[in-house]
Amino acid sequence: MLALAFRLGNSRYALRTRDVVEVLPRRPLRELPAAPAGIVGLLPYRGTLTPVVDLCRVLLDRDCAPRRSTRIVIVELPDGDHTRLVGLLAEQVLDFIDVTATLPGLRLPATPWLTEHLGDAPESPQLLEPSELLPEALQQLFEREAEA
Amino acid sequence: MHHESQLATRLIFMVSAFAALFLLFGLLSWRTLDRVRVKGPIYEEIILGKDLIADVLPPPEYIIEPYLLARQIKDETDPTRLATFIARGEALRLEYENRAEFWKRTLKKDELGDLMNIASYRNAIEFFRLRDEQYIPAIQRGDRERAVAVLGLMDKRYEAHRLAIDGVVRISVQRNAAAELRADREIENQRQVLFLLALGILAIVFAIAWYAHRNAKILSDRLRMASEIASSVAGGDLSTEVPASAMGDDEAGRLLSAIQQMTASLRAVVTRVKQASIELMSTATEYAATSRQQETTVQSFGASTNQIAAAVREITATSSELLATMEGVNAVASQTANLAEQGQDGLRNLDSTMERMAQAANTMAARLAAIREEAAEITGVVTTISKVADQTNLLSINAAIEAEKAGEQGLGFLVLAREIRRLADQTAVATLDIEHMVKQMQNAVSAGVMEIDRFAEEVRAGVTSVVRVGGQFGQIIGQVRTLSERFDAVNDGMRSQSLGARQIGEAMGGLIDGARQTSQSLREFNSATESLRDAVVTLKQEIAQFKVSG
Repeated sequence: MLALAFRLGNSRYALRTRDVVEVLPRRPLRELPAAPAGIVGLLPYRGTLTPVVDLCRVLLDRDCAPRRSTRIVIVELPDGDHTRLVGLLAEQVLDFIDVTATLPGLRLPATPWLTEHLGDAPESPQLLEPSELLPEALQQLFEREAEA
Repeated sequence: MHHESQLATRLIFMVSAFAALFLLFGLLSWRTLDRVRVKGPIYEEIILGKDLIADVLPPPEYIIEPYLLARQIKDETDPTRLATFIARGEALRLEYENRAEFWKRTLKKDELGDLMNIASYRNAIEFFRLRDEQYIPAIQRGDRERAVAVLGLMDKRYEAHRLAIDGVVRISVQRNAAAELRADREIENQRQVLFLLALGILAIVFAIAWYAHRNAKILSDRLRMASEIASSVAGGDLSTEVPASAMGDDEAGRLLSAIQQMTASLRAVVTRVKQASIELMSTATEYAATSRQQETTVQSFGASTNQIAAAVREITATSSELLATMEGVNAVASQTANLAEQGQDGLRNLDSTMERMAQAANTMAARLAAIREEAAEITGVVTTISKVADQTNLLSINAAIEAEKAGEQGLGFLVLAREIRRLADQTAVATLDIEHMVKQMQNAVSAGVMEIDRFAEEVRAGVTSVVRVGGQFGQIIGQVRTLSERFDAVNDGMRSQSLGARQIGEAMGGLIDGARQTSQSLREFNSATESLRDAVVTLKQEIAQFKVSG
């Protein structure tokens, strides 16, 4: 199994490649007025406007650094019967690593998105669960869409 | 007494002689006047002579002779006698006209003049005209009748003429008598005046004699007094005074007052000479003392002069040494000037070198600027490379994701993607290195540019300071040169000073000799002063002979 490694602040994290659709370079987004917290804007992608969530804003309570290594990772989230695309903005999205074995981490109620560790070394990245990662407002938005 | 009698006698004799001669002159005048007076003996004699001539001669102005001649002609038949008569008549006419002319000029235009020059003259002339124009031609023709008729006319003319002449005679006689009476009266008057004049002149002469006698007496008294005073002055007595009454305004009085002034002046002079001789005596004594003092002074002056001469000799030696020293200093100054000139030349070389350096610095700055531009270009290229590396990395990641999703078929592709990602990473690292190096290079270039700028600035400052130093060197050379000139002047001064000192030394030698001679002269002066004192003593004795006050 492969994982896309990136960095948020001082810690390294990773996403399973089966969840990832594509990695895109940072680009200007369509702004969303009165957007819920964590949502930076809307990205036109494959014919739809995909909401983009700044992970730095969600996890570290700050904007991601405006660098070239800061990229938009398009992920596919299960939404009932079908899937939904969400853009995640993260720093130093530069590497992919082979996942041979995983170590179970502490699953805390406040941080349900933090799952297994990809090694016992301190710099080893920790896997993130994107479906748990979405802000509550977006989750509710999505649910309301589904009901409609 | 002798003078008086002589002068007075002479005066009296002279006055008496004058009076006697004057009286003689008066008597002679009297007698002459008496003898030559009208009706006097001489007058009577002259008048008698005139009367005689008048009585004898037929009067030319009374034409009685022509009348008688005309009557003679009437009966004359002999032509020879007739011609003689006519000639005689012609001569008488000429004589009448001559005299008539004289009387016309002489007589005044009064009664007498009219009678003589008009009444008698006209008738006479008419008579002569009738005779010559009618009577004689009638006679010559033998026309007796006509001749007698003309003669009748001529008779009338003669009668009128004779009447006028009678009038003339009567008036002349009256006038002569009156003139004689006037002359007599005149002479009487003159005699009285002459007598009075003689009396007056005699009185004046005697008055003059008396006055002269009196004045001569006063004059001789005063002269005697003057001669007495002069004799006493000659004898050395200056005390005689002239009485004020004797000094008058006349010459003798002035002489006496002059003598008085002279004696007074002489008295004053003698008094002053006496005082002066006393002063002279003391002065001579002082002279002697002073000259003795001067002698000692001159001796000490001689000693001082010797000292001065020695001092001058020292000055001469010192100034000679100083001269040598100055010459040495002058040589050093010349060397200094040469060195300064060499320094100036060196500075000139330095100046050009500095300029070349400044040019080199500018060239370097330009090249560094070019390098900076190239570095900027390199940065651009590196940025492009890093962009390419970034896109390559992104591509490799997406490729890996796709390969993973492809499963077993994507395994090879995954390996490729992994390799691409590794190359991209290496490229990125290399790019970073290059970027770093380029940044360092840019910094170095910037630092270099700054350094070069500073260096150029310093070179520029160096050039200006070199120019300034060159100017200062020029000034130093100029000053050293003027110094050299001044040294020359000082040298000349020293030389002349040395010469002057030598001359002063010589002069001092002369001065010493002079002092010696002065000392000798003073000794002589001393003896002269002694002689002067003796002379003053003699003078005093001589002056004592004069008696100044009564």
